[in-house]
Amino acid sequence: MSEQQSSQLLPGLFERLNEEVRVNVLHIGPALPETVEFFSGYRCKLFFVDLFAELPLAFEPGDELTVQQHMQELLDFPLGTNFDICLFWDIFNYLDAEAAGAFMDCLQPMLTPMVRAHAFGVHNTRATQRALQYGILSRSDLNLRPRPAPLPGYAPLPQAKLQSLLGELSVERSVLLAESRLELLLKGPGVKTRRVAPR
Amino acid sequence: MIGPSIEIKGSVSGDEDLTIQGRVEGTIDLGDHEVTVGETGKVNADITARTVRIDGEVSGDIRGTEKVVISKSGNVKGNIIAPRMTLEDGAIFKGSIDMDPGEPAKVSLAPKAAPAATPSPSPAADKSPGLDLKQG
Repeated sequence: MSEQQSSQLLPGLFERLNEEVRVNVLHIGPALPETVEFFSGYRCKLFFVDLFAELPLAFEPGDELTVQQHMQELLDFPLGTNFDICLFWDIFNYLDAEAAGAFMDCLQPMLTPMVRAHAFGVHNTRATQRALQYGILSRSDLNLRPRPAPLPGYAPLPQAKLQSLLGELSVERSVLLAESRLELLLKGPGVKTRRVAPR
Repeated sequence: MIGPSIEIKGSVSGDEDLTIQGRVEGTIDLGDHEVTVGETGKVNADITARTVRIDGEVSGDIRGTEKVVISKSGNVKGNIIAPRMTLEDGAIFKGSIDMDPGEPAKVSLAPKAAPAATPSPSPAADKSPGLDLKQG
């Protein structure tokens, strides 16, 4: 049974999303009807890459490809593709430091300076696994669908480690959620952070 | 209609709607008509038509000048270009969707003050599959 979850960070993620500007969106995860429906209201191109279906993404002795090579195969976009919005969801909770670094290394050249991204991390690495698929219902609401089975390779990275692996992306805002989970709004180097007046 | 036992290699074109229940490899161009890939259909081809509905399997790029629908039994690997796109619950899709093929912007019936209303954010009620997009 899916559940709806409001998000304080989604509005910031979609700040540049309007009916006039064309944007490229990278969605890490399966294509879901509500997400396609949401973006259909805007001028955009959606790229779906279901890295979750490739887990575990870790190098084992005897593997033909290194994690970096495997990641490059998975993130093989047409030359000149640039992303304005990235939806990482909780993929970093399933990548070790090598895989997360390889993921960001592959992605970095394709991110515009004004890119914004969304991710879930953890406040405490002992946070329990939540096997969910994430869809977008509106500019401030997510749809959380339970996965049929837990994904392999759940080993969330500590916050500091995760931040060190994000390359040119930095954390613009974070929100502590229930069960020690963190919701993160990431930004590219060209995004100027606006000061939020204290409530 | 291309029946379940028919296999075609080459280019398919015509001036009428087409349903594919068999196998097609190559290109399919139905211009201003409708292409339906039925549940038993297996297509390894680029498809161009006014409306494209996928109930079976497609590997290739799809251009729908009006809309593209991937139904709950559909499985598509490729890139889609269409001003309107419907993905039903259960559909499998790998690739990209370009919803801005460079046509003039459609007039939205949604009030300007509430742009988020255009993508119909109504929650649980829209778990039902087959929502047609950009209907205003």
